[in-house]
Parts: sequence; structure tokens; C-alpha cells
Amino acid sequence: MMTRADRVLMAIVLCALPLLYLHIWTDQEPATMLRMQVADMDATVTPLTPDRHVQLAGPIGESIIEIRAGQARFLDSPCPGKVCVHSGWLREAGQLAACLPNRISIQLLGSRPRFDAINF
Amino acid sequence: MQIQTTAEDQRIAWLAALAITIHILESAFPSPLPGIKPGLANVITIVVLVQFGWRSAAWVSLLRVLCGSLLLGTFLTPTFLLSLGGAVCSIAILWLACRLPGRGFGPVGFSLLAALAHMTGQFTIAWLLFIPHPALWRLFPVLLTAALLFGTVGGIIAGGISNRQRQCST
Repeated sequence: MMTRADRVLMAIVLCALPLLYLHIWTDQEPATMLRMQVADMDATVTPLTPDRHVQLAGPIGESIIEIRAGQARFLDSPCPGKVCVHSGWLREAGQLAACLPNRISIQLLGSRPRFDAINF
Repeated sequence: MQIQTTAEDQRIAWLAALAITIHILESAFPSPLPGIKPGLANVITIVVLVQFGWRSAAWVSLLRVLCGSLLLGTFLTPTFLLSLGGAVCSIAILWLACRLPGRGFGPVGFSLLAALAHMTGQFTIAWLLFIPHPALWRLFPVLLTAALLFGTVGGIIAGGISNRQRQCST
């Protein structure tokens, strides 16, 4: 049914396809900086080292940002829903978390900007 | 005025009509993801390629895209452009594939190449003209996987049809 050329082609495609998945889906670059914005104030950009906690004072209280191992997250926030805390660790450049009640947003930055926002 | 038609012209017309019918039937099926469909009409292209050569296959494929779009009302719409781009790419790769020395490709190889080329061409056009956003490429491997699957299945079907036809003619 299949000629030798068919089999060779099939083998090449079956090998190349996983590589393509790897290539296209893992080009995430590591983040180097963290951008933090409180309300209408200018955003502050800070490096992701060393590991530390950052306290940000927003309109309804103090949010705590944890920076560890090149990642960042909302550790705590005085908001009712805790959506920001539950959004978990930000790992890749471009990822963003926000606490709307406290008007604070944090975003990881890489060497080149990727997306303004990602919508699902 | 009367146009003289050869036997080959009429054969191409018959086969194109068959491909158009399948094309239209297939357009009625819902698609799980934009861009993914079984491409059953391409089975005809492959059968024609194996039995009557590349020239006939190119005619059947392009006539299918043209007449299919006229019947479905998508002529000169983005859908038509995507369809035409895919067809041109797969016909081009089949032209190359026919020139492989030795026993060359069988129906499965042809169909797989055509499906992958069709998807790649279509995707590139979609990216260049309609959604020029790098994130679109995330979808590309998924679509190629679908092309691999449907291309292989289509090739097996085309192989089965060709074999049966050969048995009938002998």
C-alpha cells in the first residue's frame, strides 16, 4: 500500500511535528524585570533578583508581592475576592496579574515586549 | 460557436463535478476549529493524480475551488482566497512530488504532502492578510497535526479507490 517514499515521508513528518510543537510552544523567554503599577501613579520597574517581598500601598490597603526565583505573585491583598492571589505565580515574560479593588497590577517583562494582553 | 472538447476535457469535467459535490457536502459539516476540515474533496485530486497525471489533477483541484466557491457564494471572499491559496500550494508540491525518481510516492505520500502544503499555504495567507499576529503561529502545529491525520486517511481512501478502479479496468 505505501511505497518506500511514503514511509520515509511519514517518518520525517512524524519526527518533525513534535519538534515544531517544541519550537513554537516553548519560545517563552525568561522574565528579567517586574513592572508594578499602583493606581494612576507611574509604574515602577524592578529586577527579579534578589528574592524578596514588596509592600504596595493601594487605596484599600497594603498588597504584598512575593518575588522568588525569577517569578512573582500576589502573596496577599486586602481585596474581598482575592482574584489576584489566586492567579498564582507569574512565570513568563508578558504575564500579568492585577488586583482591581486595590488598583494594583504587576507584570513580568522580558528583554523584548511580547503582548500588551492575552485574552482567552 | 462550438468548442471542441477532447475526451480528457470531459473526463476532467466529470471528476471536477465529483470533487465539487464532495466539497459542497463537506462544507455543511461543522468544524471543531477554524481551518480544520477533513478535505475529502482532495481525495479526488489524489485519485486523479495517480490515475491521470498531474495536469488533470491541477485542473480538477482548481475547478473545484472556483466552482465550489461560486456555488457556496464565497467567490472572492477571504474563504475563497484561503481555499485557492491552499489548492495552489498543494498542486505545486504535488508537481514536485511527481518528479521524484524511482517508484516515487504512492497515494498516501501524495495526499499527506498535499494536505500539509494546503494547510501551510492557507495558514501563511491567513497570517499575512487577515491576522498578522505572531501569536497565530501557536495554532500552526495543531493545524498541521490535523493535516497529517486527514491527509493520511484521505490518502488511504484514495489508494483504495485507485486499486478498485484498476481491478475494474483489467
